[in-house]
Amino acid sequence: MKFSSFSKISAALIVAFSLTACVEDGDDGTSGVAGADGVAGKSGVSTFVTRDDVIKTNANIAYAAYSDALISATDLKVVLESFVATPTPANFALAKQAWLDSREPYGQTEVYRFRQGPIDELKADGTLGKDDAGEGPEGLINAWPLGEAIIDYVEPVDGLSGPESPANAITDNIIANTSAYPTINAATLENLFEYGEDGRNVTTGYHAIEFLLWGQDLNKDLTGAGERDNSAGQRPVTDYSNTVNACTSGTVATTDNICVRRGQYLVTTAELLIKELKAVTAQWEPVSGAHYKNFVAGGDVSLAKILEGMGRLSFGELAGERINIALIENSQEDEHSCFSDNTHRDIFLNAKGVQNSFNAKYVRIDGEVIEGASIYDLLVVEEQHELANKLRGALEATMAAAAVIDTKAKTGMPFDMLIQEGITQPNIKAIIDALVAQTDDIEAVIEALGVTTNDLRDDTDQDI
Amino acid sequence: MYKSAVVIFLSFFLLSTVLSGCGGSDTVATVKPAPEPPAPEPVLDHSGLTPISIDVIDKLEYLSGGDATVFVSNENAFSRKPALIIDDFQLDGFFTQGDHLFRTPDDDIGPILSTGSCQGCHLNDGRGVVPSTPTTPMSSMLVKLANGKGEADPIYGDQIQPFSIHGFMDGNALSAGFSKHDGSVSGTELYGEAFPFIVFETITGSYPDGTAYALRNPVYKVRDLSYGAFMEDIRFSARVAPQAFGVGLLDAIPQENLLALVDEDDSDSDGISGRASMVTNVFTGEKVIGRFAYKAQNPTVLQQVSGAYNGDMGVSTSIISTEPCLDTQLACLLAAEQENKTGNVVDLGDHSLALVEFYNRVLAVPARRGYDKDSDIWTEEVTAGRKLFLQANCSGCHTPRHVTGDAKGSELGELTLGGLTANTDTEHAESIAVLSNQTIYPYTNLLLHDMGGSCAVTRETEAGLSCSTGAECLYVQRCDGLADGVMQGDASGSEWKTPALWGLGLVQTVNQDSSFLHDGRARTIEEAVLWHDGEAKDSKDTFMNYSKAEREQLLAFLKSL
Repeated sequence: MKFSSFSKISAALIVAFSLTACVEDGDDGTSGVAGADGVAGKSGVSTFVTRDDVIKTNANIAYAAYSDALISATDLKVVLESFVATPTPANFALAKQAWLDSREPYGQTEVYRFRQGPIDELKADGTLGKDDAGEGPEGLINAWPLGEAIIDYVEPVDGLSGPESPANAITDNIIANTSAYPTINAATLENLFEYGEDGRNVTTGYHAIEFLLWGQDLNKDLTGAGERDNSAGQRPVTDYSNTVNACTSGTVATTDNICVRRGQYLVTTAELLIKELKAVTAQWEPVSGAHYKNFVAGGDVSLAKILEGMGRLSFGELAGERINIALIENSQEDEHSCFSDNTHRDIFLNAKGVQNSFNAKYVRIDGEVIEGASIYDLLVVEEQHELANKLRGALEATMAAAAVIDTKAKTGMPFDMLIQEGITQPNIKAIIDALVAQTDDIEAVIEALGVTTNDLRDDTDQDI
Repeated sequence: MYKSAVVIFLSFFLLSTVLSGCGGSDTVATVKPAPEPPAPEPVLDHSGLTPISIDVIDKLEYLSGGDATVFVSNENAFSRKPALIIDDFQLDGFFTQGDHLFRTPDDDIGPILSTGSCQGCHLNDGRGVVPSTPTTPMSSMLVKLANGKGEADPIYGDQIQPFSIHGFMDGNALSAGFSKHDGSVSGTELYGEAFPFIVFETITGSYPDGTAYALRNPVYKVRDLSYGAFMEDIRFSARVAPQAFGVGLLDAIPQENLLALVDEDDSDSDGISGRASMVTNVFTGEKVIGRFAYKAQNPTVLQQVSGAYNGDMGVSTSIISTEPCLDTQLACLLAAEQENKTGNVVDLGDHSLALVEFYNRVLAVPARRGYDKDSDIWTEEVTAGRKLFLQANCSGCHTPRHVTGDAKGSELGELTLGGLTANTDTEHAESIAVLSNQTIYPYTNLLLHDMGGSCAVTRETEAGLSCSTGAECLYVQRCDGLADGVMQGDASGSEWKTPALWGLGLVQTVNQDSSFLHDGRARTIEEAVLWHDGEAKDSKDTFMNYSKAEREQLLAFLKSL
């Protein structure tokens, strides 16, 4: 793989530099291996980690993480196609597992949001925008919450499956409306994405696929009105039946073509997901990717971007929108992966992404470990030992709190139950507190390194 | 220009000298050193700044919202956060959460309502739309109710909620929540209150240069009243949801600066007599100037947001803790008992409300277009159009520039991620820096102006025959001019608050179906100008008498806002 050779090259470079240093004042000198400034002289950390090294590793990990997301989305599509062709309960289970697997790398890429990277700023014409104009593919890939009624049938239970404005509702839904949307293809889904500029009309991305696999989370009794329990959505496999006269829409029998269209929708969204992830991954491709090139040459502005992504994901997106809102509203609608009850993984993986960025370490889906120059190393080199250790500890505390939520979910108490009053809200509050604490430390790092996120939004060259 | 300024200065100087000579001591013998020429009294505007120049555009006028300006001119132009918010992880997080709440329906919307979420009316944080046909329900505009004395209807209240919660259950069956003639009279079955709709009649006219134009004159109609007839002397005011950005800046303009623009008796004889709408701040009980909603009924963003949650979405808060049901609406009260949160527990807690308030206050203002920052040059048509705008005294109401004062934080408490903490100064949370002490260009004075016109309500059938009762008997309101006939607080049936003009040129970029004026009758900015009357008649006439080229320049200027 490409990355092992990268690691080897950087290791070789470090050795080479060390040797050069040794020549100057010997092994016992200040710069020698065991000297005060040497590779073994200070906390065992190389003095040769520079800001540019940190930036480069961060870019290499971005490529690895987006590549993994792309690879697993490609795998997902294969499994979905085989499920649609042979819609057995076993294949249905495989399809769901493939979706869950695809979320593992993607969740760790989200730390590359909120920093004017390709995920937020890559326009449809292939150019990179700026100024947070929001023209990137993030929405097409991962938009949420859904007004899922635009895609497929819903139970009229909670009033939360529609668009922001009823005026932006379509007649029936895309799958059911064969006259308005005779063909389910990429163009149909893309044209209806955010139909009416309505942010809840989400027709593509991970959560559209999630809804098509699991259906609404109506709890065990399927009324949606009963006690919240640990079940996820329970879409029947017969929703994809290719046996004559066996197609259903939930508990209701329907015409065969609806199951065909549902299957087409499923595969088409996977294709679109691959298309968008491909474009983002290409931007990060080492050496040749347009954003990669700019980013590794960006100096302190790039370093600020790394920290900005870490801070904004930690506080606003994860602790705020994805956890706190669900907690204070006590609402399943505000749960990130509400159909599959996979929100505990979203939380864990988003937090993991922040830790990855700090430690400059990422474990690929095939087990390969990408490691390089970290912010931790840099802080030590720049005489910020205490802060390095403080943020390391804060990130570890967050991961510990995330592990509790992960474990509870895997043992029968998913996130949508944890947020309920009188249950185990303390677990939820603990991770919010931990994320708040780590954000404070990230701010302190930004200050200590003297990089300002203001550099990211210099409008001086803006044509208006 | 420079010359005449010197002349004025000199004559002022001479006059002052002469006067001081006259009024001085009559002992003439003392020889004094020549008196310093007294500095001419500087002429300052209501904000304490040098008045804006008709020829020279302010250096930073392209930053309409000061520090709260963003450089986005696509369909997201009204939805962005200022850089100063992004740069602060905490504030960024509060905005993100407020945004989520703004666009996601609360669990306890209804029982009767206009829409399920803030974004449901403020489409893409922009304006609502007028239904495209008379049978399409109003889902991003609403109809206010009052009699000739400004009193609410004893059954329907001060606003028609056209839908019941049943229309919001599965996302695309709004019709399940429609009203039904006498449907809820029995007290057991819940329907929306009534179905208001608009039909347009065409008015044609022409400019003095012969160019013809056509306007859409709206006729408001209401059918299918679920709870029986309206009270006597009912009047209707149809209103499209306005764009939601920039309101935190308007909130932060010092009251005295706005009151300095009041000219109730038109003492400067320019035909314009702005009045302040004085309303009660629910926290202090004080009468303060109203700034928000079409008749300036609300003094703060927080009160405006709470009012919208209650009246438009059926969501109770600590500020308005009731559901939108009146005691006479048993079916509604019954349904309210079925909500998740009932009794003393409000639907939307203070923490969530404060997040939405924060989001709404700091939603950024888009920068002007038509300006190149590198060369510091405005396009010729915008420069010329601005001059024509000022010469026509459009700025008599659409005051171009204001400064903000200290933008105090929420009255609800200090936001943290874990919840609200009590305000340390007991009244407000920490001030919001990005909104404070900014020079802004909203083009409004937030005052009430009589825009002319009058209205009449009749009962008639679809075919136009007179009637008095029955399912086929509609309420019909016809007006001439902009009047709605509805008194609201200090505002009469023909008075409106001057709306801000910033972002005007992006309204139809953000939502291509949007239109202009309070009820969306104007399809274009030009039509909106042509509807002006009453106090704005002189300015409108000036516009109409401009050459076609000049009119286009003025409109180009408005589109650059």
